[in-house]
Amino acid sequence: MSIGAIGVTGIVILLALLILRVPVAFAMFAVGFVGIWILNGWNAATSLLASETFTLASNPELVIIPLFILMGNVASVTGMSRQLYDAAYAIIGQVRGGLASATVIGCGGFAALSGSSVASALTMGKVSLAEMDRFAYDPRLSTGVVAAGGTLGILIPPSTGFVIYAILTEQSIGRLFLAGVLPGILLLSCFVLTITLLCWLRPAFGPKGPKTDASEKLRALTGALPILVVIVLTIGGIYGGFFSPTEAAGVGAGAVVLYGFATRRLRARALWIASRDSIVTTATVMLILIAAHLINPFLALSHIPTVVGEALAALNLNTLGTLVVILLVYLVLGCFLEGFAMLVLTLPIFFPVIIQLGIDPIWFGVLVVLTLEMGLISPPVGINVFIVKSVAPNVELGTIFRGVLPFWCAMLVTLAILIAFPQISLILPDTMMN
Amino acid sequence: EELKFANFTPPFHTINASVIEPLNEKVSAATDGALTVRGYHGGELGAGPAEQYVRVVQGAADMAWGLPGYTSSQFPKTMIAELPNAIPLDKPGYEALWTAYDDHLASEFPGTKPLALWTSEPNIFIMKDHDIRSPEDLAGLKVRVAGATAADVAEALGATPVQMPINQVYNALQTGLIDGVITGASTLSDFKLDEVANSYTIGANLGRLAFYTVMTQSKYDALPEDQRAALDEASGMSLSKSAEDAWNATADAALQAARDAGDNTVIDLSEEEAKAFADAVETVVDSYVAEVGGEDALAAMRGE
Amino acid sequence: MLAPLRKGADGLIGLSATLGVIGLMLEVGVILVDVVGRAFGHPLFGSQDIVTMTLVIVVFGGMALCDRGGGHIAVDVLERHYPPLMNHAIDIGAAVLGAVIFAMIAWAVWQSAQLSQMLNLSTNLLGWPKAWFQWALSALALVTALGMTLRAIELILSGRDVRTEDGARIEDALRREDNA
Ligand code: NA
Ligand code: NA
Repeated sequence: MSIGAIGVTGIVILLALLILRVPVAFAMFAVGFVGIWILNGWNAATSLLASETFTLASNPELVIIPLFILMGNVASVTGMSRQLYDAAYAIIGQVRGGLASATVIGCGGFAALSGSSVASALTMGKVSLAEMDRFAYDPRLSTGVVAAGGTLGILIPPSTGFVIYAILTEQSIGRLFLAGVLPGILLLSCFVLTITLLCWLRPAFGPKGPKTDASEKLRALTGALPILVVIVLTIGGIYGGFFSPTEAAGVGAGAVVLYGFATRRLRARALWIASRDSIVTTATVMLILIAAHLINPFLALSHIPTVVGEALAALNLNTLGTLVVILLVYLVLGCFLEGFAMLVLTLPIFFPVIIQLGIDPIWFGVLVVLTLEMGLISPPVGINVFIVKSVAPNVELGTIFRGVLPFWCAMLVTLAILIAFPQISLILPDTMMN
Repeated sequence: EELKFANFTPPFHTINASVIEPLNEKVSAATDGALTVRGYHGGELGAGPAEQYVRVVQGAADMAWGLPGYTSSQFPKTMIAELPNAIPLDKPGYEALWTAYDDHLASEFPGTKPLALWTSEPNIFIMKDHDIRSPEDLAGLKVRVAGATAADVAEALGATPVQMPINQVYNALQTGLIDGVITGASTLSDFKLDEVANSYTIGANLGRLAFYTVMTQSKYDALPEDQRAALDEASGMSLSKSAEDAWNATADAALQAARDAGDNTVIDLSEEEAKAFADAVETVVDSYVAEVGGEDALAAMRGE
Repeated sequence: MLAPLRKGADGLIGLSATLGVIGLMLEVGVILVDVVGRAFGHPLFGSQDIVTMTLVIVVFGGMALCDRGGGHIAVDVLERHYPPLMNHAIDIGAAVLGAVIFAMIAWAVWQSAQLSQMLNLSTNLLGWPKAWFQWALSALALVTALGMTLRAIELILSGRDVRTEDGARIEDALRREDNA
């Protein structure tokens, strides 16, 4: 059996295991480990198993995962999330799907303080899912919104996706960050439009709330003040140079815990339970991340991404054709691979082609990051969908995948708009950094 | 046979053109293609600089490069090369390391055969909105350093040392979380620091970074004699020089770009000004060398 | 015969989780102290070492409890289309696979801890031996593997599926009580 055939067989087995309800992380572990064993020997497989596991479990950037989960959990237990959603409900609850739109905007806000889609989906999921449930929103809508909205984390700066792209392609991080702003807002608007459209077609998705007058709105907003202060402090602390985005997670979690104790809404017992729940969710998420890091070297060793890339370069298509085919490849690979790994494996092959055709590398970066976001919610390995599932264990995975479908389409439309109008991506970096 | 060279950085990185490709070209030419070296870039064989040495020992990769600084406890004496004033600014680091290797450093590389040992361009001050001309200018500034000894150095200079992964430095400089970094000029292009920093101070001997490229010892031992000879011929001093020259070239280009950019301050210290920095850190350096019993190693590196 | 085993396993699982929770609290505390201290020119020396090494305990402390509560995500769309016997067999197979994976993790990380000792690896600032934390990870992974093994045995012998039982419900009840 050729090396490439082993890679393809691995993917087929992975799919079969997933269909057979083997837990996602276990399936990826098994295929990744055995694949590396076959292609690079037993020592390589056990060595990677040990090093990837320990390296990820002690990765300073991943500390945000348990901390943001804790922040979300404590915000729920102390009623801070409830107050936030009461305020959102008082203000835009009378609009169909208003809370879902508010959640997407919240995801956009969270994206401004975190560079990670996983952290965005986790935290926003912890804060919002139970609340939308409380106001009788359909789980298809609420989970879809959080899974898709969470992906904004890597389009709106700061963004780990852009940093990796910049380093792999020697582009400017600053330009890429600026380039992500307008597309991020555009995508956010498309999400809101999708929600409105969905709720217009199916009013039961996000039922209308009662009309409220100005004093009710004000009262609800005052109630939400504590969590709004925490959010402003965390974002302000990052941009004011007091702490890093990673540390912001610790500061945010610490702030809600201290607030909870100070107002006596949080008791030691409840903090204990919230923390236990946090480490369980952390375990779910981290195991998937570790497993994804075993699949990556397996596929790299199978040379599949290289073969695909070289085949593409040999096609000799025109500029638009090449661009579309590359993005299609990313959409397909994104179904299986963790996004950043995909960049590392494919950019060295695709990027020279892009440059040769005279395609603007900053614009291409935005398009690539958007397709990465789509990969995060594409079956079968849709990391953000798993994240939402870990926060909402009672919702079926299929329900979430169905819920994200309209948003996936919205992203496709956004992608088409960004391809048609490169200025949307380029106007900010061109005017502000030249 | 194909030897797998693990590279945790992208294929565009200096290491590829200066070490991996020359190694492959020379080895495959000498063995008529019987032995080749293939780079696995971007951490394909496993991510992160800290785990590279272990991967080679365990045979997950046949070769890898890395920085002793990420696992400094394994390399107490090799790390002397990174100290301020250890190696004179005009002396190549690879010569210093290889001179000291047989007698003093070999025991720090168990299970592997070093193919190249080299150092980076000298460290400089990379600052945002602060010009550094004397140690006093650093008073109270937050400076990113890596490792315990580097932290002591920064403190001896009067700065507040801040530890963070190198890939977070861009954001931290931009937001003002840190005021500067002490590291080599190649980070200006490698990590895009030129976009956020605007003041550079050159000429003080602030040490440098050390690097290694190693190969699994058992893998090397198992090769037929002609292939081992081809590897020996292609590695060692010449390969190390190729790496160090390339690092210096990247750094020079980055510094030149910073000078040309116009909106940067580049401060070239006079000998006298530079000495003030050397004096300030002298005790830190001496106490580290004494602590690891590295007086002989240091003397060997200096060619004394 | 299985009941006392289950009791013992749950004790171990609870202990792991408790370590994880303590670790999480430590993370928050260390980051707060470091951030505040740095603002006054006195960052906490070694905070990066503490944060990263504690994360190992946080991540793996919750693994066993995660499995016990059925927290590992599977594609559940087709569950109701499969015959019950097949679902039962899959549950057993997945538990066994999980046990093998975690036993492998425990073993591989243990091996790698020996190497860390040989290479004298320790954290860069505080000089904590890396092997300590690799042993901790190994031990926590082993507890997870044992929990999965017991779960597989229970599924085979008595058909009991501990994931759907008391654990989750008790916590739900506590939460309701706390909210009230
Ligand atoms: Na972001
Ligand atoms: Na996917």
